[in-house]
Amino acid sequence: MPQVELRNISKSFGSVTVCHDVNLIIEDRAFVTLLGPSGCGKTTTLNMLAGLEDPSAGDILMDGQRVNERSPVDRDVAMVFQNYALYPHMTVAENIGFTLRMRHMGRGEIRRRVEEVARSLELGPLLDRLPAQLSGGQQQRVAIGRALVREPRVFLFDEPFSNLDASLRIRMRAEVKELHQRLGVTSIFVTHDQEEAMSISDQIAVMSKGRIEQFGTPEEVYARPATRTVAAFIGNPQIDLASGRVEHGADGLICRVGEAELALPAGTEAVAGQAVEVGVRSEHVQLSDTGAAARVRLVQPVGPATHVTLDWAGGTLTATLPGIARLAAGSATAFAIAPENLLVFDPDSGKRIGGRTDA
Amino acid sequence: MSFAARRTGLATRLGVLLGLGVFLVWSLAPVVWLVLSSFLTQRALIAQPPDLAPASFTLQNFVAVMQSAASLGHGMLNSFIVASFSTALALALGAPAAYALARLSLPRANVISFMILATQMLPGIAIAIPLFIVITRLGLIDNVWTLGLVYLSFNLPIVIWILRGFFLGIPQGLERAAAVDGAGPVRTFRYIILPISIPPLAAAAVFAFIEAWNEFFFALILTRKSAETVPLVVAQFAGQYQTVFGQMMAAALISVAPVILLAIIFKDQIVRGFADGMMKG
Repeated sequence: MPQVELRNISKSFGSVTVCHDVNLIIEDRAFVTLLGPSGCGKTTTLNMLAGLEDPSAGDILMDGQRVNERSPVDRDVAMVFQNYALYPHMTVAENIGFTLRMRHMGRGEIRRRVEEVARSLELGPLLDRLPAQLSGGQQQRVAIGRALVREPRVFLFDEPFSNLDASLRIRMRAEVKELHQRLGVTSIFVTHDQEEAMSISDQIAVMSKGRIEQFGTPEEVYARPATRTVAAFIGNPQIDLASGRVEHGADGLICRVGEAELALPAGTEAVAGQAVEVGVRSEHVQLSDTGAAARVRLVQPVGPATHVTLDWAGGTLTATLPGIARLAAGSATAFAIAPENLLVFDPDSGKRIGGRTDA
Repeated sequence: MSFAARRTGLATRLGVLLGLGVFLVWSLAPVVWLVLSSFLTQRALIAQPPDLAPASFTLQNFVAVMQSAASLGHGMLNSFIVASFSTALALALGAPAAYALARLSLPRANVISFMILATQMLPGIAIAIPLFIVITRLGLIDNVWTLGLVYLSFNLPIVIWILRGFFLGIPQGLERAAAVDGAGPVRTFRYIILPISIPPLAAAAVFAFIEAWNEFFFALILTRKSAETVPLVVAQFAGQYQTVFGQMMAAALISVAPVILLAIIFKDQIVRGFADGMMKG
């Protein structure tokens, strides 16, 4: 039985609808991320799961039971907030223990559980401090501790690392992932950082304009994006898109972009004459002597790889080459893309009509 | 604002200083005159211009006031009871009301808030006579608790407005966290909101206390002898044939001392409280 399920959930604030008919099934012990740009409805969705907002329509189910009317505490969820939301007048120990106090647990038992959680998060020496006396990373750990001490059925994380600096963010990410592996508690994580989502999740729900565009594993949303929006949102460097027209070539369908011809992947649902958009990830662009003509605009070595920006008939295109590539800006070159690595989109609906169907 | 705009010119700064200077003189001059005249003899005080020679200064006014210390003490005790009673009630009722208006999804909270403020727009004289009649009929005239309740009706709206402004500024995350932690609105208010609201509570309390301590008009109408408050006692130094200004000023100085003390003790909290409260009025 799926542990958490959203059925046809919609949410409006006045005349503004922020969630449209959201459906999501989250299995027990899964780590699922709601990913999308700000304003896409991901935090509202999380708040509805927590019981902090009521859906305008639809059902929220936990363990098969409808929980729309249940208060946050009766849903047995714990939440980590973006701004930590620690109680400023309480010590670390009191912050972590507050939820147990609200359940009328005995002092001894509260102390035992708070100390246990503090030990696991290395907060032991900080138990008597106030939140204002802690660094951002320590505050976030306390916020996680406050969620952990409950031993809840579901963890909810609302952009918990967005206020931390880059290195701390990566460390906390690893800690949360380890925590999930150790405890196996179903976790739902909200972020706008696609790299964070890719690295931490079992499954990602990519949201845009209040709708779920795609729900799948990180590999699926990256290699087989369902829509142009998903393709554009996931991946760094961003995917390059170009408009072209389908024609018959020597070995099947091709896409013509100006003078350039790109072979379309087998099984593309398009006919000759149809307008399409093609997209390619930078690691699938290969510089070669033959192929589509291009000119090097910019060379950016980043250590293990080099990002080369090319100008071609379809606009600009980034190629990621291994190691340090020695190329001169302004020099002429050509590139090739293996047909199976090309993603083809319908320009009107934005849906993908060609490209990988396997992994 | 850019840094360039912050670098104000000398002329602007002098202008601001001058303005503040005028404001200070304007506000402090009566206080300085109060202090000075409480130490001057009646003759020096009514001379034109007042005679400020060292020989004119005396402690006689204070000695005289102390001789009637019984009535001043009685007035101060009454004022203390009335002010404390109305302040305590204003906080006990005003804080939850302000929280509800600021944070719970009450229908028409803004209209209700405005109506609470609108009660302050009636001039006191408009309700004085009806109030007098009602209170007399109920046999509650000349009673400190009655006066406290009357002051409560003035103080409660102010307390609600000060606190509502502060509550509106509290980040919502705290209440959401409390909700997930299992606290309903009442326990959230009790364990989270109240403890972090000490500065605005102190500011509102001091404000309400001073208002009640200094009030003259309703005290004059609604009390006789047993419930008379400090401003009435001070006013009695204005006799039928001659006003003994020096004694009156000495009595006034003694009567404002507790309030000034209160303001000094809670200075930081008052400033913080008002700054927070006024931010989102």
